[in-house]
Amino acid sequence: MSVDITGAEILFRLPLGIVITETQVNMWIVMLVIAMLCKYLTSNLKIKPEGKRQVIAEYIVNLANKFIKDNMGPGFKNFPPFIAALFSISLFSSLLGLLGMYPPTADLNTTLGWAVVVFILILYYKFKTNGFGGYFKGLMEPLPILAPFNLIGEFSTPISMAIRLFGNISTGVVISALVYAALAWLSGVVFQWLPGTLANIPYLQLGLPAILSLYFDIFSSVLQSFVFCMLTILYISQASTKE
Amino acid sequence: MPETLEFLSINFWQTLMAIGNLLILFMILKKFLFKPVNDILEKRAMEVDTIYSDAESLRSKAEIDKETYENKLRHVKSETDLMIKSATERAENRKEEIINEANKEAENRKKKAESDIILAKKKAVDEMKDDIVEMVIDLATQVVEKEINTKIHETIIDGAIEKLGESV
Repeated sequence: MSVDITGAEILFRLPLGIVITETQVNMWIVMLVIAMLCKYLTSNLKIKPEGKRQVIAEYIVNLANKFIKDNMGPGFKNFPPFIAALFSISLFSSLLGLLGMYPPTADLNTTLGWAVVVFILILYYKFKTNGFGGYFKGLMEPLPILAPFNLIGEFSTPISMAIRLFGNISTGVVISALVYAALAWLSGVVFQWLPGTLANIPYLQLGLPAILSLYFDIFSSVLQSFVFCMLTILYISQASTKE
Repeated sequence: MPETLEFLSINFWQTLMAIGNLLILFMILKKFLFKPVNDILEKRAMEVDTIYSDAESLRSKAEIDKETYENKLRHVKSETDLMIKSATERAENRKEEIINEANKEAENRKKKAESDIILAKKKAVDEMKDDIVEMVIDLATQVVEKEINTKIHETIIDGAIEKLGESV
């Protein structure tokens, strides 16, 4: 018995070393679903809401607006859609595991890309608040000799965010794969006395993986998406307050 | 076995695509969800504002109307008071007039009655006088027939009648 733990499947290769993998395709699917959902929810907006759709759309928008206002204060006009995009793409990507598809968040490249965006935003707000000089001066504190450590601290933020999300989701993928393989083997051992092909059915795979999936695919997906967004909000609002 | 990436691998293009995808989704959400919903929320807030201000102006108008009507009512009340007063006055005058007329009428009737009475009295006296004259004449005739000389007595009686006539 062998279990292969691999990354995303490469679907085709383009020049310049660009590869299109399951990660990309699945993410496009997720984006398409979210875009269609948006179109569907906002298709018939009225000043007096008439359907459930509008109520849901307003609920989501109000929730995002309020969440950003409560946690970051006023003046972050673009952040509700940005955080909503981050949360929805992360959540839907992770939830793809439920459908047996490869979750794009189980690919470090994906989470790293998002973390880089967050890092750039953090730097932007730090520069904006303290100015270039102020930012580099801040790195020298409390002692200039600690500057390298502060610099490491700066870069560890996106890396830790990327690896946290990647780790949590990919762990789910890995553990699911291991459990499935183990249960298939155990089934083979326990039910080998059954005649013919009946012995090859992995009966034990029924049940336990569902419970694991409940944790890894649903709970962990929601929680890690929320954590990723919450950290983004906290880091950026911290970056935009004067030191 | 399909070709795959390593489980833990970093690929520049893949990372870049993840960034691009995130930004594209940001645009999508902004354009297709947040902008329309925020617009509609803003419109609703504006509409609510207008409804409130409309209600406020209506309320103040109602207040003014109420004031006006109250004034009018007060005016009407004083007017009716005046009307009642004048009507009462007129009625009083009329009453006075009627009573006066009645008094006059009564007075007249009383006077007329009194004069009637006097006239009747006079008439009665005249009748009585005539009766007496007749009676006397009758008496005298009887006396004359039975007794003496008609001629002498005639003159006496004439004299007596004459006297009677003067005294009545």
